[in-house]
Amino acid sequence: MAFTRKPQTYSSSINEVTIGTGDKAVTIGGSNVMPLYSFDAPLKNKVAIGAEITDSGVDRTLPGIASYYEGAETIAEIAKRAAEMPGADFVALALNGADPNGDNRPVEECVEIAKQVSDAIDVPLVITGSRNVEKDTALFSSIAEALQGKNVLLVSAKEENYKTVAASAIMAYGNKISAESAVDINLAKQLNVLLSQMGINPESYVMNVGTAAAGYGYDYVASTLDRVKDAALAQNDAMLQMPIITPVSQETWTVKESIVSEEDFPDWGSRESRGVDMEVCTAAAVIAGGADAVILRHPQSIEAISNMVADLM
Amino acid sequence: MALKGLDIFKLTPKKNCKECGNPTCMAFAMKVAQGAVSIEACPYMSADAIATLSEATAPPMKTLKVGTGAAEHSIGGETVLHRHEKTFVSENLFAVSVCAGCIDSKLPEIEKVDYERIGERMYVEALNLEFTDKDSYVQLVEKASGKGRLLILDVKDAEAAEAALEKCAADKPILNGATPDNYAQFTEIAKKYGVVLGIGAPDIDALHDTVAAVEGLGYKDLVLDVTAATLKDTFANAVQVRRAALKDGDRTFGYPSIVNVKKLAEGDPHRQTALASLFVLKYGSIIVMEDMTYSQALPLYGLRQNIFTDPQKPMKVAPGIYPLNGADENSVCATTVDFALTYFVVSGELERSGVPVNLLISDAGGYSVLTAWAAGKFSAGSITKFIKENEIEDKIKNRTLIIPGKAAVLKGELQERLPEWNILVAPNEATNLVKFMKEL
Amino acid sequence: MAKFVVIGERIHCISPTIKKAMEEMNPEPIIKRAKEQIEAGATYIDVNIGPAEKNGPELMKWAVKTIQEACDNVPLALDTSNRAAIEAGISVYDRTNGKPIVNSADAGDRIENIDLAAANDAIVIALCSKAGVPSDNDERMVYCQELLERGMNEGMDPSDMWFDPLFLVIKGMQDKQMAVLDFIGQLSDMGLNSTGGLSNVSNGTPKHIRPILDAATVAMAMCRGLTSAIMNPCDARVMETIKASDIIKNNFLYADSFLEI
Repeated sequence: MAFTRKPQTYSSSINEVTIGTGDKAVTIGGSNVMPLYSFDAPLKNKVAIGAEITDSGVDRTLPGIASYYEGAETIAEIAKRAAEMPGADFVALALNGADPNGDNRPVEECVEIAKQVSDAIDVPLVITGSRNVEKDTALFSSIAEALQGKNVLLVSAKEENYKTVAASAIMAYGNKISAESAVDINLAKQLNVLLSQMGINPESYVMNVGTAAAGYGYDYVASTLDRVKDAALAQNDAMLQMPIITPVSQETWTVKESIVSEEDFPDWGSRESRGVDMEVCTAAAVIAGGADAVILRHPQSIEAISNMVADLM
Repeated sequence: MALKGLDIFKLTPKKNCKECGNPTCMAFAMKVAQGAVSIEACPYMSADAIATLSEATAPPMKTLKVGTGAAEHSIGGETVLHRHEKTFVSENLFAVSVCAGCIDSKLPEIEKVDYERIGERMYVEALNLEFTDKDSYVQLVEKASGKGRLLILDVKDAEAAEAALEKCAADKPILNGATPDNYAQFTEIAKKYGVVLGIGAPDIDALHDTVAAVEGLGYKDLVLDVTAATLKDTFANAVQVRRAALKDGDRTFGYPSIVNVKKLAEGDPHRQTALASLFVLKYGSIIVMEDMTYSQALPLYGLRQNIFTDPQKPMKVAPGIYPLNGADENSVCATTVDFALTYFVVSGELERSGVPVNLLISDAGGYSVLTAWAAGKFSAGSITKFIKENEIEDKIKNRTLIIPGKAAVLKGELQERLPEWNILVAPNEATNLVKFMKEL
Repeated sequence: MAKFVVIGERIHCISPTIKKAMEEMNPEPIIKRAKEQIEAGATYIDVNIGPAEKNGPELMKWAVKTIQEACDNVPLALDTSNRAAIEAGISVYDRTNGKPIVNSADAGDRIENIDLAAANDAIVIALCSKAGVPSDNDERMVYCQELLERGMNEGMDPSDMWFDPLFLVIKGMQDKQMAVLDFIGQLSDMGLNSTGGLSNVSNGTPKHIRPILDAATVAMAMCRGLTSAIMNPCDARVMETIKASDIIKNNFLYADSFLEI
């Protein structure tokens, strides 16, 4: 007896959101099937991949990163190199140095760095903040103004600061934001409701539902993603139909497997290889779960994941 | 999956004769669907209908036991497509592919990866034995047998398969070699040696036909090799096979699957990691890799452990003293709950600080800090009891104890119960632990 | 599970305003009432034109076009005993936001409306009755079975047949209320969709009592598996109860602002 195909398509779909401008602008979302299920219906847009750089450059203790960025010294040169990375669709600038509990880089300096990066590249720019709510509120408002009309994506607004961030970034200066909640589907939905009640149109924001490195409570992430996609498509819940961006690298490069040295753990082998595998494994998992964009650090990770994504289109 | 009343109704004679004690056939069918009445209560039900019904009330996906002794594993038996709907039941297995020419160099590498994580042994559970020629294949089987791992005979040559099974049938291997061309012969071999038969085909329609044909020969201990020429088709096969079985009631596809990611990305270990991760989430029962280095194993086994944990049961780490960053009896102590996620986040941040510290984990029921505190499972009393019962004060000379920021309220009472100790409160968020430890 | 489907009942020829608008083919009062109901949370809008023996097809076509054009192609339930009018309405109906509903068929002389729905790929409301109120659930089930068989023979997907158990008036048939709820449970066990005229239960009770009885009934019925109701969506108490019940049934994800969306 022949196999009877029962394609699972939905009348609802994930919203489409475009970041960047011109030929290199990137659109994510749009599909009306479960993540990557191209056998049910063609996928609307490819999962986008961002190459991460930070306000202090890149981690040159890793040979693969050092060699890729060799000769790129200024932040503009580094950004240019990241934009050219095979498989990368956008550049993700992580303003880690802005953290008041860390280097506490002043807002003005961060804005200057963001401008230099933005001027150096023609691909879309995603900017992740310090993860400190007060600092990010000020930071995102200033960056949104400085990069008016560049259609950058600011990651992320939270329940505590969404009003200010959305008002400045989206309403005043025409940029995009992501709405972040910590691996909790009800909070994710609520934040989207609040943004929509401000009158923000759904094409202007994405969500970051949080992630964890593989092995570090990833079960919650997997189930949250499954439930978000189920609500968005099967239940046609408009308040969860935003595309999802997942900053993978920030979670995976801080776990033990990616940090400890080969001298301390000789059995485990090269630290760089471990970091890449952790990044790749987690990225593949969130993409399987429904992330529409991911931020990755290592050129080899971006190569492996961009190949996988292209093959699944 | 219980048969819906409507499906049963279609099998009834639709006479409304009331002989079963129900006013209508529809009412009867509903009661059967609820399990309240046996189908035999209808005197007019045909034998075919009863057979269809018992078939339909069997589990949607078969559970198979493969391997023997320490290498025995259950595969299949899933009832849901997403873990939050209930739980996944059988962890996927990881296999490494070996051939006659490479087994000698590969086995020691495979054996190196063998460790414990949250109470579970992490190692390569299965060896996929690639066929080159008949003579060397028997030698390969002999070398692979008895290594405490499930064997998968990846062979489409019937003679070689028989010769191999002569050597290893007692190991209960999987014979992964049936195709639309040879299935009749392979079914006979699988029957003869009593082993699970793997079926592959060029496309999903041919796979369906071949499985149906093998079932028609009376053999139902099957696994489905969904590997295709491309990743796109392999993924489509893996998802559609599982979905057809669990959601659409297609019993022909109600078997565990094999995905060979080595074939999809040979020579590219990072890409194989990506694909293995994809198939851990989306429906590979056995995932065959080219190698399994520590670099690949650490994230993949961690991911698998997360995905296959029962959502109703929190993952717990064993209570005890966990010395981090080379901590000894002079290093400070920190304590938190036994919830695995909390443990990993906290220990990760403590390790990142580089400061030697003894992490004390007491039994807090597998809850997070706040939940455990609210439930009385993480209290001044429970921490004190842990310290006394485990003779911490004899084992560790340092008298500084760091407690979680979210349990700051315990400080006063702990200080009273442990007067010799200096109780410190950590920051609320684990991410601020590095700074806190460095400034200690 | 899908969210509860509210079919707004307020475009009804019994209402003097609507009756007049239909006579004059004056769109404003009808559009206004459609919009009010959509705003209040109705998924479908019922369009009752009465028997309209004189100009049924023409009137239904006009009503369908008028409402759908003004209200973003809101899906409609076409409610009349005039079969030609229903067919005419479907001929101009836009399916973008959902199939049309034929309101309604029964196991008696309106059973042919099942065929009509099947031939037009429409949803049909199937009353589990023949003539008058069924005496018990066995009788309801016999009718349900007849309707189901008819629809399946005509090639309908059973999910497109929404069975109406017939809600009964509390003031007079108080002792039959639990039987109706039990029957909804039986329909649900069979995986069937259900709907019905909710406000029947509170007919004849004081005005301030009606929303309370309607709300309690809908909550209890949803617990048993009711999937839709024909009702007044502008009744805030009933709508809040439905939204809360959808949350409890896990038909819709909770968020603090769930009542506002």
